[in-house]
Amino acid sequence: MARGMATSLVIVGVGGQGALTLARWIGEAALAAGYDVRIAEIHGMSQRGGSVEVHVRFGKEVYAPVVEEGGADYVVALEAVEALRAYKYLKPSGVLVANKRVIQPPGKWVDPQLVLEAITKSGIKAYVLPCFDMAMELGSPIYENAVMLGAVSKLLNLPMPESLDERNREAFRRGARLVV
Amino acid sequence: MKNLIFYIHLNTVKILLLGNEAIAYGALAGGVAVATAYPGTPSTEILETLEEFRDRFVHWAVNEKTALEIAYGATVAGARALVAMKHVGLNVAADPLHSAAYTGVEGGLVVVSADDPWMHSSQNEQDTRWYGLQAYVPVLEPSDPAEAYRYAKTAFELSEKLKHPIILRSVTRVSHVRAPVEVEPPSPPKWGRFSKDISRFNLVPAYARERRKALVEKWGTIGEVSAELMRVEPGGHVTIVTSGVAYNYVKEAVRLLNIDATIIKLGMSVPIPPKIRELVKGTVVVVEEGDSVVETQLRALRLETRGKIDGYFPKYGELNTRKVAEGIAKALDIPYNLPQPPKSPIEAPPRPPVLCPGCPHMGTFYILRLATAGLNPVWSGDIGCYSLGINTGQQDLITHMGSSVGLGMGVAVASKQFVVATVGDSTFYHSVLPQLIDLATKKVPLLVVVMDNAYTAMTGGQPSPSRLIPPEKIAEAFGIPAFVIDPADIKTSIEVVKRAVEIVKSGRPVLVVSKRPCVLVATRKARKAGVAIPKYKVEPEKCIGCGICYNLLKCSAIQARPDRKAYIDPVLCVGCGICAEVCPVDAIKGNGARVKWLEVWQQA
Ligand SMILES: Cc1ncc(C[n+]2csc(CCOP(=O)(O)OP(=O)(O)O)c2C)c(N)n1
Ligand code: SF4
Repeated sequence: MARGMATSLVIVGVGGQGALTLARWIGEAALAAGYDVRIAEIHGMSQRGGSVEVHVRFGKEVYAPVVEEGGADYVVALEAVEALRAYKYLKPSGVLVANKRVIQPPGKWVDPQLVLEAITKSGIKAYVLPCFDMAMELGSPIYENAVMLGAVSKLLNLPMPESLDERNREAFRRGARLVV
Repeated sequence: MKNLIFYIHLNTVKILLLGNEAIAYGALAGGVAVATAYPGTPSTEILETLEEFRDRFVHWAVNEKTALEIAYGATVAGARALVAMKHVGLNVAADPLHSAAYTGVEGGLVVVSADDPWMHSSQNEQDTRWYGLQAYVPVLEPSDPAEAYRYAKTAFELSEKLKHPIILRSVTRVSHVRAPVEVEPPSPPKWGRFSKDISRFNLVPAYARERRKALVEKWGTIGEVSAELMRVEPGGHVTIVTSGVAYNYVKEAVRLLNIDATIIKLGMSVPIPPKIRELVKGTVVVVEEGDSVVETQLRALRLETRGKIDGYFPKYGELNTRKVAEGIAKALDIPYNLPQPPKSPIEAPPRPPVLCPGCPHMGTFYILRLATAGLNPVWSGDIGCYSLGINTGQQDLITHMGSSVGLGMGVAVASKQFVVATVGDSTFYHSVLPQLIDLATKKVPLLVVVMDNAYTAMTGGQPSPSRLIPPEKIAEAFGIPAFVIDPADIKTSIEVVKRAVEIVKSGRPVLVVSKRPCVLVATRKARKAGVAIPKYKVEPEKCIGCGICYNLLKCSAIQARPDRKAYIDPVLCVGCGICAEVCPVDAIKGNGARVKWLEVWQQA
């Protein structure tokens, strides 16, 4: 890798899904693993149902806080329509990790089947994971991001963040099993 | 307490801090005693962090001008003070900023202004650094949170040494970036005492002329200080001059392009050190975030530069590694072919921000729509969550804080059209108070609607003075008739607003205050207190798919199903029950306790 071995992630979702928290967990784990870290957040719209996009970069030495189009090793999407929106960030060799859930945008109804098919048939390496269903098994959609964290941490070879509480740890473990 | 535990850790470990938190901790290490701010993205978390330190004077001021004045006054009296705002806030505070350069300060004065390139949450892309040149105030420009921490501390020392205010210019990608920062424990606050100095602190012409001479003379010496904050990373026979966040993209771009360049990183980007002229070699490329402020100064030193002025780098938006690599390649005439980013297989439908489910603004807009039916009003809008009234076509003019009533008066007198000015409570105190006096003395027919949710919601729910100093009391004192409505009580409120509309039609201004706290704050408090929140459901047999609830009221918890019937997301519903009020066929039913919940909510 020409870029001093930094790993670049773009994390997306819909306001209220916990994309910011997911990014912070990944940052915390990367720091614990001895890496330098940058997390670029966008505040303001996250609570109002709009698209949320957070950039995370970690490695031995990291400078740029944002990931440019075509620069992401991973796009991590807590929602499938947002996964499509973030496509442009992927490197040709990049990996997409997407939650199977579609949250309807205001106005036009989109067919979830169409969205998921587009992702799996796009030619990019993609994992489409049932984070939402798994979170519901644990009792609440709030565990969705921790399930995703488990899966992504497994792919990135990062440890479980220490700050997770017991329920989120369980979600993490189940998420990690999704990608073996 | 929380902070204590925090510091025990801090002595040994680096922790992930937001740039704004880092600025706050840097200020604490620098002995800040007085900290003021008016909220604004991306600057808000600076004061939010400082709020927890009770041994200092920390205050959310009514606007940026007042915030700067309090801090400036404190430093004139020898204390160390910080004032924080977003870039456009500095326009509001510009008057005292210029004076501060003339009188100078005794304690350190640090003015933090956070720019928002590409306007993630702003109305313009203005570059704070011009104010440095314009007002003769040095500008420090940190490149990341760790440096923001150090510069905040340094800024106090510098300011006190130079007896001059210092601007700390941040940007979204410093303020809202989390990175590892090493933090020292806070220093004790440095308070002061005012010593009279007639010819220094009274800017009447005779004295101001002397201060002006002293100012330009002082400015000539600051270049040397600027040189101390400059870092030269030696390299090959081309020079890249950069500052702030742009430095990071330069570092990655030179690696990507595999070029050997001398990098000059300015810590103080206004004024630049004149001695830079002797340090540059070969082609001089300038990379900076915002306008060409550094490049303009380099050209004033008669250097040939390749930067934004001649279009090597884009003149709008945010930089990133790709744009900087492209620009450097162009400037040095070296080939660089970027792979095209992949295209999404199908285009993602837009997901614009919407009002929160149950937001009181939603009810107010619906009430206003019905009460002004047939008048085709001009909706003179303003900045805040209620800007999202744009989604229902009820914001025609949003330009800056205070535009609602200010521009609304202009539209009304120029066109004789019926104008509704909608303004949030925080914005009301920030900018509209003086406008109300013009409205009252000139009797311009305008329907002013204060959307009083008791908080500055847009920026995360800072307190607003609306309960202490109710808008309706102010209007009455000015002789403007005022009506109070509850946005959750649709039917009664429509009748009240219709009466207000009649008064406006007769040629007089009226104030309507729509009172109900931000639902985010209310549900947070209710959850803590264990108060039951009712849920609403659509009875599909009854629903006729008219779309009033999801198209006109536009509650974001309500979706149209493929058969056009409404569906309420049970997770999102916050039990306001407004949809049940607007449904023409009574198809929406709640599961009890609405009255109790609305009462608790009103107290939030
Ligand atoms: C001069 C200036 N300062 C700060 C801001 C940031 N800002 C945007 S809207 C707003 C206030 C919102 O509060 P309010 O008017 O009460 O409306 P609400 O969001 O609560 O609906 C602030 C502080 C700005 N845009 N301009
Ligand atoms: S934050 Fe409060 S005021 Fe803003 S949209 Fe949400 S409920 Fe409404």
